[in-house]
Amino acid sequence: MKRLLLSVFGILALAFATLTPAFAQSKGTVYYLVPTLLDEFQTGSVSALELFLKQVGYEMKTLNADNKTDAQQSQMNDVIALKPKAIILAAVDFNALKPSVEAARAAGIPVVEFDRQITATPSDFTSVAGTVEIGHIAAEQAEALLKAKNGSVKGKILQVLGDPGDPYTLDIQKGFEEKMKAFPDVKIISLPAMQWEASNAGTIVADQILANPDIDLIFSHAAHLSVAAVASLEAAGKKPGDVMLMSSNGAPVGLDLIRKGWLNVEVEQPLYAQAAAVAMFMDKVANKQEIKPGDYDVLGLKSVVTKEAWGPNIKIPGAAITKANVDNPAFWGNQKPPTDTVKSVE
Amino acid sequence: MSPRTRHILELVLDNLVWFMLVFVLAVFSIFIPNFFQLGIFANIIEASSVLGVMSIGLALVIIAGHMDLSVESVAALSAMAVGIMFCSSGIGLGLQLHPEWLMVPVSLAVALVVGAVIGVVNGFLIVRLKMSAFIITLASYIWVRGLVLVVSGGRSAQDLAPAIRWFGIQRLAGLPLTAWIAVGCFVVFSLILAKTPFGRHLVMIGGNETATFRAGIRVNRNLIIAFVLAGAIAGLAGWLLAIRTSGATANLGVGLLFNAFAAVVIGGVSLKGGVGTLPGVYAGVLLLSAINTAINLMGLPANFTQVIHGLLVLAAVLLDAFKQTIRQRLA
Repeated sequence: MKRLLLSVFGILALAFATLTPAFAQSKGTVYYLVPTLLDEFQTGSVSALELFLKQVGYEMKTLNADNKTDAQQSQMNDVIALKPKAIILAAVDFNALKPSVEAARAAGIPVVEFDRQITATPSDFTSVAGTVEIGHIAAEQAEALLKAKNGSVKGKILQVLGDPGDPYTLDIQKGFEEKMKAFPDVKIISLPAMQWEASNAGTIVADQILANPDIDLIFSHAAHLSVAAVASLEAAGKKPGDVMLMSSNGAPVGLDLIRKGWLNVEVEQPLYAQAAAVAMFMDKVANKQEIKPGDYDVLGLKSVVTKEAWGPNIKIPGAAITKANVDNPAFWGNQKPPTDTVKSVE
Repeated sequence: MSPRTRHILELVLDNLVWFMLVFVLAVFSIFIPNFFQLGIFANIIEASSVLGVMSIGLALVIIAGHMDLSVESVAALSAMAVGIMFCSSGIGLGLQLHPEWLMVPVSLAVALVVGAVIGVVNGFLIVRLKMSAFIITLASYIWVRGLVLVVSGGRSAQDLAPAIRWFGIQRLAGLPLTAWIAVGCFVVFSLILAKTPFGRHLVMIGGNETATFRAGIRVNRNLIIAFVLAGAIAGLAGWLLAIRTSGATANLGVGLLFNAFAAVVIGGVSLKGGVGTLPGVYAGVLLLSAINTAINLMGLPANFTQVIHGLLVLAAVLLDAFKQTIRQRLA
């Protein structure tokens, strides 16, 4: 028994010694506070951030809040005590995390907002696609689809939201409806799929397709909701193209639905570029250097850094994915991370 | 009160949840445009299939005087296991069997076994080691959902094999086969509960475990079977869930547990054990499904729906409490 214990300790010590030099070469540890891992975009963001931050010399550790605001607040407190080089925060709730962001910065730890913009308090860097803008792009696509089908921009849209407690979906809704206001002949029915759960979306579509058989277009706020929507349409005897479909986030399942002819458009969140931008500016963030406004090339996408009231903000445009460009490897849904190495901004 | 009036009143009280269902459907049909149509009623039955099946297992354990909080996560794990094996997109391995129909029993067996194994773990810890059912199944609720995340890596499996998906598309008398499966389960388990020694023993155990033990009934064995059945039935619910959504996502079925509890309570099952019937539970499930459908059709602002849903459930439970008061007065 004693020999066994000694062997175990020996192996552990050896492993620790082997790992220590690797840590020593790192520029430091960055923590990523991810809101949930029950969503492919978030899971993808962990691997993308890990990949790009490693390329610029940082080690990344991830904490999952399971969509709970209080859990993320506690995680912020814990991470502040660990004094990392920086914290990357994708907030569960934009406003509730404001005091935590302020506490981290007061402790001298820079905070980067990822994907979910917090405008109520300054942070050191923000990398977003812009959820309201995703709604705008979706509206432009809806406009084109309805015009092609009905001759003018008129008809009925079923908007399947995510959870109504999630600002992410509310922002997309805001952007979408803001732009669609220009078309009074379009009726929008909006219903939430509680907890972003796919079968809830399926039930909504099954009910609505009966109550409103003249629905022209279904817009789901995530690709996995579209999968359930398609299942309901299929069960109702519909074929690809009978009802137009559109969703946002660009997950792999959405791209598959485009290839099968069910989905007309997927509005992509540029996950790889959003993550790459964080890595490109991490040295400046960690060393508290000024980030200059202007145009930057992020993985081939023209992106703009602006100085906002809440700090430097990079906005990377989302793109509309259709059958014509669905195989483009730049879309994260194709699961082909860029081979080019990200370099720190000088 | 004449015997005839008393008889009618007791009949109404015994089936109050069914009367509530008819009343609610009538009100919705009058006030909600497009609600009154066969397709919508079929949707209500179809949408209730997963919740219904899950509620059967939960009701069995509650009638036996215990609790199983893990059923939602068990269903999710079973759905994910089926998804990973038999889906061809995402993380699906696209397993093909020949002839194709073999995929149906195999996938069903996978779902049932996954559920039953977790049921065995729960049953062993609760019945043999005398640990609290609440705590053990709460822990299972958490670790099993965690396992879903581990095996899926947060990604989804989509595009279920057509042979399995067939159950979600084909209709018999206007209803998808998944709904018939749920109805069949209710019939079978209602008979088991009402007509077999095992069912009667479960009710007795829930009413008074010590007295049942002293009467020479094998309480532990029956309880473990109840937990294994609850797990396996939750596995079946997961299989139906995978069929309904043509795959599995890591958050599939989130929130079903609370609806299952609501359905069981509305259906007249006492949380103290020993009281309840499965037809009542089915009426509770249909009632919840009707409320959900009504909310979907009313087109209310998104942030109001949860409040309305909660209030309607509360109203149903209050009516049930009112029923108990009248029953006491009648006695």
